[in-house]
Amino acid sequence: MSQRLKNIVKAGSLLALASIAFGLGAARADEIVIGASLPLSGPLAGFGSFQQWGYKRAVAEVNKAGGISIGGTKQMVILIIRDDKTDPNAAASNTETLISRDHVVAMLGSCTPALVNAGALVAERAKKPLVTGCDPLEAFKSVRKWNYVWDLFFDEPELAAAQFKALAELGAQTNKKIAIWHDNGPDGQVVGGKIWPALAKDFGYEVVQNAEFPVDNTQFTSIIGEAKSKGAEVVLVDAITPQAIAIRKQMAAAGFTPKVLNIEKGAEPVQFAEALGKLSDGILVGGYWDSSLPYPGAADLSKAFESETKLTSSQHIADSYAAAQILLDAIASAGSTDPEKINAAIAKTDKTYAVGPVKFDENHTAKLPIVSLQWQGGKTVIIWPKAAKTGEFLFPLP
Amino acid sequence: MPDIGVALSTIVSGVLLGGMLALTALGLSIVLGVMRLVNLAHGDFVVVGAYVGLFFLKFTGVDPLLGLPVIALIVAALAIPLYRFLLAPLAERGPEAQMMTMFAVAIILENAFVLGFSADTRSIERDYATLPLTLGPVTVPLIYVIGFAIAVALILAVHWLISRTRFGRDLRASAADAQAAATLGIDVKRVQMLTFGLGAACAGVGGTLIGAAFQFGPSSGAAYLLNSLAIVVLGGLGNVLGTLFGGVTLGFLQSVGGLTLGDGYRDLVGMALFLLVLAFRPDGFLARRRS
Amino acid sequence: MKTSSGLAEVGVLLAAFVLLWFAPSFAGDYGLQIAFRVLIYLTLAESWNLLAGSTGLVSLGTSCFVGLGAYVAFGLMNAFDVPLPLGLACCAVAGGALAALVSPALFRLRGLYFTVGTLALAELLRLIMVNVSAFGGASGIFLQKDPPPLPVLFHYALVVALIASLAITACARSRISVILRAVRDDEDAAAQMGVRPYRTKLGAFILSSALVAIAGGVQATKLGAIEPYGMFGLQWSIDVLSMVIIGGVGLRLGPLVGALFVVALGEALADYPEAHVAIAGVILIVLIRFAPRGVVGFVENLAPFTQKKRVAA
Repeated sequence: MSQRLKNIVKAGSLLALASIAFGLGAARADEIVIGASLPLSGPLAGFGSFQQWGYKRAVAEVNKAGGISIGGTKQMVILIIRDDKTDPNAAASNTETLISRDHVVAMLGSCTPALVNAGALVAERAKKPLVTGCDPLEAFKSVRKWNYVWDLFFDEPELAAAQFKALAELGAQTNKKIAIWHDNGPDGQVVGGKIWPALAKDFGYEVVQNAEFPVDNTQFTSIIGEAKSKGAEVVLVDAITPQAIAIRKQMAAAGFTPKVLNIEKGAEPVQFAEALGKLSDGILVGGYWDSSLPYPGAADLSKAFESETKLTSSQHIADSYAAAQILLDAIASAGSTDPEKINAAIAKTDKTYAVGPVKFDENHTAKLPIVSLQWQGGKTVIIWPKAAKTGEFLFPLP
Repeated sequence: MPDIGVALSTIVSGVLLGGMLALTALGLSIVLGVMRLVNLAHGDFVVVGAYVGLFFLKFTGVDPLLGLPVIALIVAALAIPLYRFLLAPLAERGPEAQMMTMFAVAIILENAFVLGFSADTRSIERDYATLPLTLGPVTVPLIYVIGFAIAVALILAVHWLISRTRFGRDLRASAADAQAAATLGIDVKRVQMLTFGLGAACAGVGGTLIGAAFQFGPSSGAAYLLNSLAIVVLGGLGNVLGTLFGGVTLGFLQSVGGLTLGDGYRDLVGMALFLLVLAFRPDGFLARRRS
Repeated sequence: MKTSSGLAEVGVLLAAFVLLWFAPSFAGDYGLQIAFRVLIYLTLAESWNLLAGSTGLVSLGTSCFVGLGAYVAFGLMNAFDVPLPLGLACCAVAGGALAALVSPALFRLRGLYFTVGTLALAELLRLIMVNVSAFGGASGIFLQKDPPPLPVLFHYALVVALIASLAITACARSRISVILRAVRDDEDAAAQMGVRPYRTKLGAFILSSALVAIAGGVQATKLGAIEPYGMFGLQWSIDVLSMVIIGGVGLRLGPLVGALFVVALGEALADYPEAHVAIAGVILIVLIRFAPRGVVGFVENLAPFTQKKRVAA
């Protein structure tokens, strides 16, 4: 009998465990609950950790100031973060859980088109506002006409054009032969497949090679060999960081040194330069943010990040921090936790944040202005536009 | 059609790289042969090797290529407890239990890498890793030549170990029939433990070479697992010299695929080849037809 | 004895089906989301069991058919505006056809080689999807029309799970089971008895793949956007294996308990982002080590009265 009792207790505790698993995080009435699914493990864990920091900082600042006033009473903001393991299926299911279990009033986005889309489509259907960075605007717009999802990031055509304009203004002398290498991800196809070839023509360059590769390719021998044999002096690359590092190393090992090397996307984080050492010198990359830019709180932001985490900062802390601030500002100005009212308030956003001026257009996108950065001695300097310049253009590539 | 210099350089690089990756595959192959285990954490052992190489250089200042024996020992020493405490108790339970346990180890390792070393992509920075070596019209990365030489030397050493030593004899007996080997008085568990350690050491050395030649991060393991599997199948399961042959063949055919279809099709060519060989010569390309 | 317990099982399944059919009216949104995930996983695990139970083959190729179903469903709905039920039927056909197509190669492989072969097949398909821009390349494709609401999708998932469960029941409780077991345990002996092992295995593989492909189609429709890395990801194959092992290999309730457990664990741990992957790994290791017959086997061992019943039977 007692054995049976034990078994019943055990079965009961299993059930209880299951109910805890499904029942966590019930919100209290006097709290504003927002949520985010982020890639905190898997290949994009690096981005996720920057975003997490930016989101948490914005929420902590609001709470420190007493919270947000809803219908006359100050309420604290609770941010629930879930890990999507860099898997779109998990990003979608996390977002579903945030909405249906935690009853979030609004959400913040993940990173890269695949993950942002997965969560954003759920939010859109559930009619809950979601503010995100980290999703290039053309890729974002191509999904659908958004009603509840908002994206602040760079616009691919602007990013693609920045280096051409910079090279023209800075007077880089080359044989005008361009090799374009790009991945076949959403932004790689847009930038490398369409925009760059068109711009090259406008700026009087000849495209001698246009090579596409999948985002997990590791060998670039024949691509590099072809560019070398065709005498390209300008190489434009659109690739993620691991590939960017592989490409730079394999270029050196193949004895190929063009005069200009621009690696979009992958060459932006500090880990790129750390992994490459002096090979990173002279590489150009477009950026949408730098702590030297004259926006409120920009300089403090990267200082705070570096002192808190002992890691080197990234531009991703700025758009995530701003995305969270935009959402929190919208909740405050709506004075309500009604998703429709919050959504309407987000649409009215018009303010300069640490990431720059943000105003959403009819496609729910806000363009972050682009600067041209160059790696010099393990640090990036802004070489273009003139107004923001922090260093001289190193030419040709050492 | 790319010019002849590009084509030759690509193919020679591919062959050298294939030989280098054969070392990584060898670790997987002997574990498969002796323990009948698809070690799903093998790719992560490669990454462990790369991190060990990176920190070895950072803390001792000694070139990781000189430290390869130490690195191999460290990785083996990390792997042997895994066998002892996680795999050995499951020996009687069929392949799924051990395979899933190693998968669990793989995800724990990946998580630990992120927590311990951040998600950053890294690379072992050495001058020789980025120098070209030119011979007439052919230019290949110097590191591929170095890596190839090291891999071939180690593969030959393992071949010697398995074909000429007492441990090798026990290993072959255990691989052929573990039960029969046990009745002959061979300590099969010990053989398996050492084999597992040896497999991890191969992965570790391969990882250091990969870390110097390319780049790696916490989740790089999966790609090397699949690549190693393809090499193992091409060369024949548990066939040491066949692994080298498999690596070189795969490298050659992938390069041809990369040249003709574009670099993006390299892996695709590899996988297609892998399946074809698996379907028509399941015991490897070199094996004689089963009677 | 055998047939009557089989009929009883069918009865239980149908009763559960009818009860769950009305879940949207009583289970809240969150319950329904979770139930949907459990049903999809249950379908995958039952299908895996169908193959393993009848052939002894351990597959790591689930993701291959999940992804195939997803792409077929989206392709047909986007290009020809096919209604969802027809689209899902096509998924089943495609899944079965692919299985039939690759079976001559895969069935030459015994044991481990089959496992490795299925893994390679999934990777090959993923690489094709990544490289061929007609299938959207790495960006994937979006469903152009809005997917049906959750309760409708839930019903689809429920029907697929029922079919998968009934198939398992038919295979385990009817005369087919004798044939299947003969083929699994000793193919050559079975052949001598007049059973055609190849056809039996092929049938199980086609049915199992077709079911997985439908599940993939339903899951994709719910997502509204698919791309190769998520839909052909190894995660699917691994999750299935986890479920089967956690639930209990070869036990009738194994897949259900495994699916509940894996979904619950994923749900609970996603709230602790820092180390949740590692925690899941540790739980998996401990379960494999100390509950050799899975959670179901563990509970059965604890409960002496159920054991008595088994002895009596």
